[in-house]
Amino acid sequence: MLSRVADSLYWMSRYLERAEHTARLIDVNLHQMLEQTGMDTTMRWELLLKSLHMSPSEEVNDAYIVTELLTFNQSNPSSIVSCVAAARENARQIREQISSEMWEQINQLYLHVKDTTMAEMWFGEPHQFLSSIKAGVHLFQGITDATMSHSEGWHFIRLSRFLERAMATASLLDVYFRELLSTQQPSEHDSGQPNYLNWVGLLRSCAAFEAYCKVYTAVMQPDHIAEFLLLNAESPRSIRFCAAMMQTALQNIAHTTNTRSPSKAERVVGRLRASLDYDQIDEIISGDMHAYLENIRRQCGQIHEAIYQTYISYPIDMAITLRGAAQA
Amino acid sequence: MPPPFSNYYLDVAYDEMFDAEGHPRPAYQELYHRLLEMPSESLVQRQQAANMSFLSQGITFTVYSSNEGTERIWPFDLLPRIITSAEWDTIERGLTQRITALNLFLHDIYHEGHILNDKVIPRWLIYSCPHYRREMRGLHVPHDTYIAIVGSDLVRLPNGDFAVLEDNLRVPSGVSYMLTNRRVMKHVFPSLFGSYSVRPIDHYGQALLNTLLSLAPIGRAEPTIVLLTPGVYNSAYYEHTFLARLMGIELVEGRDLLVHDNVVYMRTTGGLRRVDVIYRRIDDDFLDPLAFRPDSVLGVPGLLNAYRAGNVALANAIGTGVADDKAVYSYVPQIIRYYLHEEPVLSNIETYLLSNEEHQKYVVEHLEELVVKAVGESGGYGMLIGPHSTGAQREEFRRAILSNPRNYIAQPTLALSRGPCIIDGEIEPRHLDLRPFILNGDRVTIVPGGLTRVALKRGSLVVNSSQGGGSKDTWVLEAQP
Amino acid sequence: MYYNIRHVTRFRYSAPISESIMEVRIQPRSENNQHCLDFRLHTSPRAHIMSYRGEFGNRVHHFDVPNYHSQLTITAAALVDISPPDEIPMALDTHAWEEIDQLTADDEYWDFLKPSRFAAPSGLLYAFMREHAIQRRDDPLTVLRDLNTTIYQTFEYMPKATRVDSPIDDALWLRRGVCQDFAHIMITLVRQLGIPCRYVSGYLFHQSHNRASASSDATHAWVEALLPSLGWIGLDPTNNTLANERHIRVAIGRDYADVPPTRGIFRGKAESELSVTVRVTPADVPPDADLLAESEWQPSPLSGYDPATGQQQQPQQQQQA
Repeated sequence: MLSRVADSLYWMSRYLERAEHTARLIDVNLHQMLEQTGMDTTMRWELLLKSLHMSPSEEVNDAYIVTELLTFNQSNPSSIVSCVAAARENARQIREQISSEMWEQINQLYLHVKDTTMAEMWFGEPHQFLSSIKAGVHLFQGITDATMSHSEGWHFIRLSRFLERAMATASLLDVYFRELLSTQQPSEHDSGQPNYLNWVGLLRSCAAFEAYCKVYTAVMQPDHIAEFLLLNAESPRSIRFCAAMMQTALQNIAHTTNTRSPSKAERVVGRLRASLDYDQIDEIISGDMHAYLENIRRQCGQIHEAIYQTYISYPIDMAITLRGAAQA
Repeated sequence: MPPPFSNYYLDVAYDEMFDAEGHPRPAYQELYHRLLEMPSESLVQRQQAANMSFLSQGITFTVYSSNEGTERIWPFDLLPRIITSAEWDTIERGLTQRITALNLFLHDIYHEGHILNDKVIPRWLIYSCPHYRREMRGLHVPHDTYIAIVGSDLVRLPNGDFAVLEDNLRVPSGVSYMLTNRRVMKHVFPSLFGSYSVRPIDHYGQALLNTLLSLAPIGRAEPTIVLLTPGVYNSAYYEHTFLARLMGIELVEGRDLLVHDNVVYMRTTGGLRRVDVIYRRIDDDFLDPLAFRPDSVLGVPGLLNAYRAGNVALANAIGTGVADDKAVYSYVPQIIRYYLHEEPVLSNIETYLLSNEEHQKYVVEHLEELVVKAVGESGGYGMLIGPHSTGAQREEFRRAILSNPRNYIAQPTLALSRGPCIIDGEIEPRHLDLRPFILNGDRVTIVPGGLTRVALKRGSLVVNSSQGGGSKDTWVLEAQP
Repeated sequence: MYYNIRHVTRFRYSAPISESIMEVRIQPRSENNQHCLDFRLHTSPRAHIMSYRGEFGNRVHHFDVPNYHSQLTITAAALVDISPPDEIPMALDTHAWEEIDQLTADDEYWDFLKPSRFAAPSGLLYAFMREHAIQRRDDPLTVLRDLNTTIYQTFEYMPKATRVDSPIDDALWLRRGVCQDFAHIMITLVRQLGIPCRYVSGYLFHQSHNRASASSDATHAWVEALLPSLGWIGLDPTNNTLANERHIRVAIGRDYADVPPTRGIFRGKAESELSVTVRVTPADVPPDADLLAESEWQPSPLSGYDPATGQQQQPQQQQQA
């Protein structure tokens, strides 16, 4: 397929995943604010912003301001409205490559976000609005799976979605573990466990609370939480699962494009998946967890770069001698 | 006339449906009786069903002078425009003759220029045409096919004859609407359609693809064909996507292509893929920033050189605009006689060349009676319709003509033929024209019918979609056994 | 007379660019009293160089450099043989005006009679015509000779007073310019008289002491006018001479827009600068080994296509002295 089209599909999908993740983070935080003290709330907003790689400012105590920044602020390229607008613009450029149902859904989501104001959301039902964002993205993903041919374009969509999810989960894990493991102070609201609500918050932010409980019960044990979010083979929220999905997508793309396998992206994702397949959680936690998670993020970055180098903006003369010549 | 024709009227213009005495013409008999029998709600319902069909398919086009949102749903009138087999035969012969002659003309003026040496057409008229591209002089075009895809606009005169109003040899559009109109018609009014023997048109996609294939450089076993579009902001973008999908070819923008060592490539995820034929829907000026306008982001740098080297074919060729210049149009009868030694089957409309002193004087004094057009424009822009104009508009055109007479022609206001349209549940006559689509590959192929465009405003003569016109399905009937 | 010509064009970019595609009009023509015996062109970074015979019979070379690079050098070397052009009489007879009108009656020379991009009349030009009584009189050749001198005397040669894309009004207003401006002004005036006139770009060999001419002002521009029985004759208003055996013709066109020595498009967001070095030496003198000494860099217009912002591309050009 055209490189430009692959590029647009890739970013359309990545921005939507980002919007959905951000919506969930805010939703969880607003909900938990109801049950915690001011100090804890401030800390949690700080964690949230750090996990999104934004620096917390003084207004971090003001939930309204932070929510506005993350949801409706158009000068913030990572806000929900910016992400949805960017996703829609990418979709518009390649409208003919996606099904009309996909286009209608993303357009509706965009119009919905565009037509809601911060005041309307805040003084109405923030939870409802944020849920509608998540639902809107899920619906789009479902429509995509149901109506788009599962060929090269579809694999690019999956590739970027799981890449984005892996990176976001790694960031969140990193920020939470650094904070919570270093401050193991019991709080009066904990159900007998230190930072109980915070751990729940982490899992809910990853849409993984219930699935976690099925595997480990409701006991919030940090190493179990890390194990679930990092190494669980079956949960679509775990980084290991994301790596496996990325690998499948890349293999399919390589096959369709007659790329000389394995490409650099495939090699990096293969290594990442292998380490996640075989690593043990106790080693990770007793070691330098921050470095481990940083490494995952770095590898994801390399995968992104490699995708670009191989499929989207490759050097011209190499392309002619290595691949184009066969098709000339 | 009986309802639903109570608002219908006849005058000097030829009416497609009724003769001068108000009797339905033979080809329209069946339609007439159906309409008499049909309860009016049924008619309105079917029209609405058709509108819904277009709406749900998202078939739109862009109108430039609207205030808000630029996309409008395609306005379609349910009543078909019917052409008899004998009438079509004349049209087909006339257009085949015309496109053959124009192709020879283009080859000639970009090579030896015999028609200019023999003074059949003034040399300065050609050289002064902004669409005459000196870069094309001496350049070899595959199969000498300059114009592979043509849309010539026909009108029917009061005496019932078809005449050519203008030729479109650069990037003629509308074929996607022709095909969609037919699909919707069969869907919404199947019984009426079935009661007539209408010649099919769905082979257009295949015919177009074959035409493009025929242009491919020799020696390319499985030529790669692409459709080059200016992109999503172009008013005809819908048609570009429609045609690309119909033919199963890649839809590309300038930035998807690059030229390396005089070969055109497409940037794909599987590497660079060589391109052999480009069906380009971009004007010459924007096609290659190295050769033409350097500020164009829509084009492909180096494309002209690759074309010159014979490594890529373009449909249509560069520089064909000289032959659809409206001043050159007035010479087409002579062009046909010069190259084919035949009389034109389809006549031209009488045209005044404003660079001619006598003509200019007459035109400037009779602006309220005439239609004045800029020679290089299309889409109904740059046009003055005398009888419907204001004094200020005429003054503006008078000044424009005097300052740049080469840029204008004038024609008498035609009484275009009229056909029945559904207007608010009643049937009223509206002016219409016809744009058949001509393909010139291994041989000339014309899909029966074409796009009938209607001026939906009462009394209006402007049929162009970009200015609020609508369209009809066009039925060419099979010959009677 | 044999000449060796070395013409080196260097581009450098403020950031690496890619997909650079260029046309050069640098090969001297072979016709009449001039023959190009040898011509070589190469680039660094290397590129596959192709050519075609373009409008007005100019040979155009072109190439593309697809990968990232921060500079580009084009080196052209030519060996040209020139014999003195035929003698031009001092004047023609008075029927010559009629003969010109007959010659041009069928519009064969339309391109060289009509205004072109850089040679279009303006208010200032008409004023100049009135001021110097430029009109049909005597015979065309006399008028051309006089016009040659008039321009030479009225304008001051001054580089950098005008730009490569200056309209003639700039020079007309300042009464200063370079040979490109003088050629354009002359062309516009000569066409006003109904004489077909065209632009010639090339080189002028300056004889100065024993050394060959140095630096970039050895590229030159002059005009050619069509006269009955004489054909196209060359006039150099910058030097108040007719074209002679020191004028080496490279390309002809309606004006500079048809014959820029280099024209290109690239992809990237960068500023570009241009430096040109020309050496014209008589061929019995060994070519100057010191050619690669750089002449000064000049800013060339901001160019480049940035795919991210969709920013525009522009050609890279240099004014002709």
